[in-house]
Amino acid sequence: MNSALWTHLAKDLRIEWRSLDAIISMLFFSGLVVVLFSIAFDPRGAFSQQIAGGVLCVATMFASVSALNQAWAREIRHQVMDAQRMVPSPGSELLLAKVIVNFLFVTIVQILLAPFFVVFYNLHIAGQGWLLLLVLPLGTWALVSNGVFFAALSMSSRNRELLLSLILFPIFIPALLAMVQATTSIFTGESDPSLWIKMLLGYDIIFTTISLLLFDVVLHVD
Amino acid sequence: MKKLASGLYVVVTIALMIWGFYQAVYVAPLDAMQGEISRIFYYHVPNAMLCFLFFAISLIGSIGYLSYRNKLPSRAQAADALALAGAEVGVLYCTVVLTTGPLWGRRAWGIWWTWDARLTTTLVLWLIYVSYLLMRRFAAGPQVQTLAAVLGIFGALDVPIVYMSNRWWRTQHPAPVFGGGPDSGIKDPAMLAAWEWNILAWLVWGVLILALRYRLERQHQKIADAEAQAALNA
Amino acid sequence: MSPGAILDHQFTVAAYIITWTLHLVYLVWLTFKWRAQKRLEARLNGNSR
Repeated sequence: MNSALWTHLAKDLRIEWRSLDAIISMLFFSGLVVVLFSIAFDPRGAFSQQIAGGVLCVATMFASVSALNQAWAREIRHQVMDAQRMVPSPGSELLLAKVIVNFLFVTIVQILLAPFFVVFYNLHIAGQGWLLLLVLPLGTWALVSNGVFFAALSMSSRNRELLLSLILFPIFIPALLAMVQATTSIFTGESDPSLWIKMLLGYDIIFTTISLLLFDVVLHVD
Repeated sequence: MKKLASGLYVVVTIALMIWGFYQAVYVAPLDAMQGEISRIFYYHVPNAMLCFLFFAISLIGSIGYLSYRNKLPSRAQAADALALAGAEVGVLYCTVVLTTGPLWGRRAWGIWWTWDARLTTTLVLWLIYVSYLLMRRFAAGPQVQTLAAVLGIFGALDVPIVYMSNRWWRTQHPAPVFGGGPDSGIKDPAMLAAWEWNILAWLVWGVLILALRYRLERQHQKIADAEAQAALNA
Repeated sequence: MSPGAILDHQFTVAAYIITWTLHLVYLVWLTFKWRAQKRLEARLNGNSR
């Protein structure tokens, strides 16, 4: 059962490694977003620590969307989807592989951007910094797992990219809230993020489960 | 016989709406503290309660479509029409809520908006179902119905999560408590009567436009089928 | 009437008008769509005769 998952995973990682398309575009785009936010919301002000969490999460969101828009790009070209449908393993493995791959991309971008973010916002973490290693991956997983699923949903429509953002963002709102609240409370050290971390975990479990369950429906649609 | 029944239903609906209006504007006494803007409640609250009903109907339609699409395709088509009609009427009622609410809030609380659990949930609910309708418009081809049904389920699943997350958000950073709102118990029987008449009126009105939208969609499905047949036969 | 009460009245009227406008515009849109579809249906039925 695991071999199909690994095959999909290895394939996507190998293709990306050769061209680095997704990572480069994401890196540049999210770097731009961080700079733009720094100009729009002055990071030297007293409230910079309060908004840094929100800026980080929104930058992650925009960066992820640029990756998600191309998540299924290779499958759409050359009718690869038909070949995928004929694979004997369940469609959920294809989905899970794609989610993991995109999750890795976004995480790599987050890690590469982190030093710049710390510098621009003169970030000093007042709370338990190690919790960020929990919060950011959970929040990113929420975004990416729903995003890849909805990218597959919107594959057949004419405004594919626009539709993806339109249907992803409203559903993502509670996870965004949790992620921002958790990161802000870690940065400022003012409150306890554990409630939000639990909420993110719950959100991830619920939506990952339901997207794995429903993916075969989406895959085998015309 | 059927035409007579539906004609009668329309007449009763219109009569109820007029009666509800009369009750709300002329019969119900003014609230002691709020004054005239309390009359907004007689439209705002029924629309708020009923929008959830229509979204629930939409969810049932989505689930029904996914369940029946392989075994009983005709029933699946009906379910899909119901899903679409429910979503549209729900968005309509939700839009009314989101526009009349701030009008009331501006006069009663002095602010147009606040990010408490109820308002945020209503806004996100609106966003989710508008995105559902946009998806149905943008996506092409015969698979629209399946994809829309899946999105409908996702969206409906998100709503309780949004509500809970916003409750927690607000208990962490307590905002001024804006009272229990209009459903904290209406004691005056005249106010209660006005309120009940309006709920009934908006319910029958909603069911009427839901039925009309459903019929419209079924007709659209038949036409699409006929066009496909014509293309095959040509 | 106090200026507050006048504003209250205006806001109430605005709320009622908005509610009715939204609902009736939707109903009108439904009617237009219905008529357009009826014409389309008639044309299709005419062709297949």
